[in-house]
Amino acid sequence: MIPRRWKGRRPARILLVVLALTVAASACAPDEDTGGGEAGGTVKLGFISPVTGFVAALGTDMRRGWEMYWQQNGGKAGGVAVQTVFEDDTGDPEVALTKARRLVEQEQVQLVAGPILANTAYAVAGYVAGKGLPTVQMTGADDLTQRKFNPLVLRVGYTSSQSNFPAGQWAYDQGHRTAVTICPDYAFGWESCGGFVSAFVKAGGKIEKQVWHPLGTQDFSTYVAQARQANPDVVFIGSAGGPDAILFYKSWTGFGLKDRIPLVGNCCFADQVFLREVGEEALGLQSFTYWSEGRDSPAVQNFVKAYEQQHKEIPSLYAAGAYMMAQVVAEALKKTGGRIEGADFINAARQVSLSDSLYGALTFDDTNNVVGPVYRTRVARRDDGTLWSVVEQTFPEVSQFGTEGKEAFLEHPVFSRDYTGQ
Amino acid sequence: MSTARWAGATALGAGIAGVVAAPYVLPSYVVSLLTLVFIAALLAGSVNLLAGLAGLVSIGHAGIAAAGAYGVAWATVHGLGLPAALGVAAALTLAVSVVYALTTMRTTGIVFLMITLALGITVFGLALKLSSITGGQNGLTGIRRPAVVGEWWQFYFFTAAVYGVCLLALAALSRSPFGLLLRGIRESESRMTSLGYSVTAVKFVAILVSGVFAGCAGVLLAWNSEFMSPSAASFSRSALAVVMVIVGGTGTLLGPLAGAGIVVAAEYWLSSYVERWPTVLGVVLIAVVLYAPRGIVGGLEDLAGQRLHRPRKEGS
Repeated sequence: MIPRRWKGRRPARILLVVLALTVAASACAPDEDTGGGEAGGTVKLGFISPVTGFVAALGTDMRRGWEMYWQQNGGKAGGVAVQTVFEDDTGDPEVALTKARRLVEQEQVQLVAGPILANTAYAVAGYVAGKGLPTVQMTGADDLTQRKFNPLVLRVGYTSSQSNFPAGQWAYDQGHRTAVTICPDYAFGWESCGGFVSAFVKAGGKIEKQVWHPLGTQDFSTYVAQARQANPDVVFIGSAGGPDAILFYKSWTGFGLKDRIPLVGNCCFADQVFLREVGEEALGLQSFTYWSEGRDSPAVQNFVKAYEQQHKEIPSLYAAGAYMMAQVVAEALKKTGGRIEGADFINAARQVSLSDSLYGALTFDDTNNVVGPVYRTRVARRDDGTLWSVVEQTFPEVSQFGTEGKEAFLEHPVFSRDYTGQ
Repeated sequence: MSTARWAGATALGAGIAGVVAAPYVLPSYVVSLLTLVFIAALLAGSVNLLAGLAGLVSIGHAGIAAAGAYGVAWATVHGLGLPAALGVAAALTLAVSVVYALTTMRTTGIVFLMITLALGITVFGLALKLSSITGGQNGLTGIRRPAVVGEWWQFYFFTAAVYGVCLLALAALSRSPFGLLLRGIRESESRMTSLGYSVTAVKFVAILVSGVFAGCAGVLLAWNSEFMSPSAASFSRSALAVVMVIVGGTGTLLGPLAGAGIVVAAEYWLSSYVERWPTVLGVVLIAVVLYAPRGIVGGLEDLAGQRLHRPRKEGS
């Protein structure tokens, strides 16, 4: 674009001009956009989830769940109409952050909900809270409501380790004394296994081996072989679902371990995607989770029925989770009379207590995380032949701090590959 | 020739005026997108330096940028001051660039591409696994950019200025004897060797220099998002940088900027309306490769050249 001669001869002069103009311009600030602003009985909410990219399936389910709540409730709560602006984060924190900026600065939303992946959630929550706006999250990343607690961030969901504390205790109570854990080698896996391992060891059990596999492993036979070699009483799998869960289970059954070593899954191992793919072989699988689509409760069954009618499939954890976020936001709006004002709104939301919901009876603790039931589920057949998970046992009021209590729990570092609470 | 000179001067003046005026007339969100364009263009520019001059296409440059970004992020989170933080970033960028350079300086073409791809994925893996340093998948939070550029518009001006300086440096570099050396290597390595140049050494230096620009982009990236996670080093980031170069025009000075503008517009603006925006971007890429092999800026230069030399029509 620049003519040849200019390019060579006058860089210094051009540079000076640029610098001078920049300094001159920087001296006076342009007008700030003002965030917030209520428009006659309407609140504007932002909703970020990944509807394209490698986790598009989760983000699409989330959007459906969120929309379904407002549809069922006439798009209103606390006397105000609720309007949602949707954005796609593609599973990338840089994109998520920029989309959050658009929602806050351009759309002037008063609250942001989502996204789902830990890194995108941290990026969005940090920015939105930094702007003084409340945000609700459903990601599992432990520290969001622990060591990185922020009064403007509420998690309507469970930490990655939370639902696995009862799994560790239960396994020990069943008479299992040795265990092998298999988890993906990144934060979600470390925290999932951390929950099981810390509780199992605390009860008196012994971890024979912790197997970490890379996310997106194609062939699980080496990992399954390692588990078999250790010959433990029980194996815990903390999976993020998807192809990893399916491929692992194919290896597991292929090695003939299905009836030899008891297998316990986490929240996201035997989900609907898994059940549709694995079929018959999955019958009887046990998991520890907070979302059970087959739980005998009007809240759950009405939701499943409505969702199936609209989308022709049983809702996933992600659809349920987003529905729950919407419900808690709505309940909080009822408490504040339709006003959303920073930390006050999150304080109101934290007071929300549900006697039954998709997750069961819920309250929140003082660092903005759910205290609620964890279910031991078993894969069974519904009347129409579809596979789903039904509740076998309920562990009520499980806290993100396990049985330890907040202070003691926060003294040790967040779960990682090097520290799983042993 | 003076017509071209005036046209160029006018375009440059209009460009600078536009960049300076942007925060005063555009909403803050759009300005934050422009900031992203400059950062992306700087990374693409570092790829373009190698691809355009030496014909070495790197598909792992986000790894180098991530090194700079993690350096400054880690140092800031651990309470180091600005000079120390920039020092850490520079050291880390240099270290990673040296690894890139040492492993690729004897290669060319597809082999160069594959090794940089592997290196990029390695950096991504390290960022994911060394969680005690990088925070793993959860990333590093609590990064704050220096107070002088704390406001969004200040940071925009800062980014634009850094990009301007880097652009001039890239222009000077491409016209320097060193730039000629790289062109020579692209045309024929054996000839350069027989002329007495050490091709390996020249490539080594070129990759380091390119790494410096990528590192600058990384630091700006970390300051822009005030958050750092492994996805900054991901394959898709590296690949998008190459897409920007190809769409904008390989070997042109302003090509990476044009390419960055298009990719950022697709990623952030188009995606709000079209769910399948990557498809649209793919179609644009194919169209450019088919109809303007020298990219958008290259194509425009050709057009302008044709118009100026209208009387003597060169055979196409």
